[in-house]
Amino acid sequence: MKTAPNNLSEIFEKLQDLKEIFKFGEKIVPILQSLIEFMKDVVPLLENINTSIAESTNKMPAAFNQINNVTSATEMATTEIMDRVDNITNSLGEIQKSLSNISSKSKAKTEIVLQLADFLADNSAAKELLSKFHEYDDIDPQIDKVNEKISEVNNDGYQIMLALQVQDITSQQLTAVNHLIESVNDKLASLVDDIHEANLDNEVHKLEAPEGATFDPNARFDRDENRQINVDNIIDEHKNKITSQDEIDKLFSGE
Amino acid sequence: MKKVILIADDSPTIRKFVSFSLKMQGLEVITASDGMEAVEKLPLYNFDLFITDLNMPNMDGFQLIKVIRENPDYSDTPIIILSSLAGSEDIEKGMSCGANSYLVKPFDPKRIQYEVAKYLS
Repeated sequence: MKTAPNNLSEIFEKLQDLKEIFKFGEKIVPILQSLIEFMKDVVPLLENINTSIAESTNKMPAAFNQINNVTSATEMATTEIMDRVDNITNSLGEIQKSLSNISSKSKAKTEIVLQLADFLADNSAAKELLSKFHEYDDIDPQIDKVNEKISEVNNDGYQIMLALQVQDITSQQLTAVNHLIESVNDKLASLVDDIHEANLDNEVHKLEAPEGATFDPNARFDRDENRQINVDNIIDEHKNKITSQDEIDKLFSGE
Repeated sequence: MKKVILIADDSPTIRKFVSFSLKMQGLEVITASDGMEAVEKLPLYNFDLFITDLNMPNMDGFQLIKVIRENPDYSDTPIIILSSLAGSEDIEKGMSCGANSYLVKPFDPKRIQYEVAKYLS
């Protein structure tokens, strides 16, 4: 059983503890006050961030869709240009065939006229007509010139087709950009989910890429021959490796 | 009789350009927009050569090459990869799958004509 002096000393100890707590309280109150002040400043800042996120996320689907629209539109336009160039090339092919036909018929005609001229060698009127006929002998050089022009147009068409490969590369690059936007959007969505838990109202729309969109993020329109040369070198190395392995296998199998 | 070539690429631009380049050589060109469509077309024609992209939806080029090589009708048919991927890993993987040539995009049509002529002559 505890005695009275013991109880008193315990009370004094507790009072001493209480005194310490009050002293600590006196120290902590200013800190709490500055924390409250800080929170007062931070809340509008957080609201500001929330608004910025809302604005950014609202713009993201628009940017995403715009990029998809650009890709589709350029693809459609490129395909259309290619179809036209293809048609032009086919038409030029037909023109070349017709010209060749005209040329051979013209040669046959000239041959007949020259044979006819032999029969009419003594006829002065026929001689005059024959000399006039020879004034039109330049048809073949003209056909050659037209053929040259056709070849030039064909070559231009070919170069246009070649340059239009850029569409495939830019389309892959744009798909890569959309992929990045999608990733940023997903991160913002998870951030906004956290803010929702803090009772700040916001919503992020899920972005949906067109079905089956594939891309190479490093695709570039580089017509430098060295890229293909590098690839050829890698293939040569690969083939050498295979040959070496075959030789090793043959050695082990005793062939 | 015209030689028949199958081009598998998800880019309509590339399909059109390769077709344009090869039709000039008097070849018949059949196109597919992904590996799956290419596989569906395998029994419909007697293909003399395949040209395939690597990055494609539904079935990529690596899988397509494996399917072609597993088909007894096409186990030796030449396959040309046409891709913008130019890293050594992709090239070695493509060649290990069973491709015969690897061309990088953007490509020189003369080179593809040369490769095709090399295998079909």
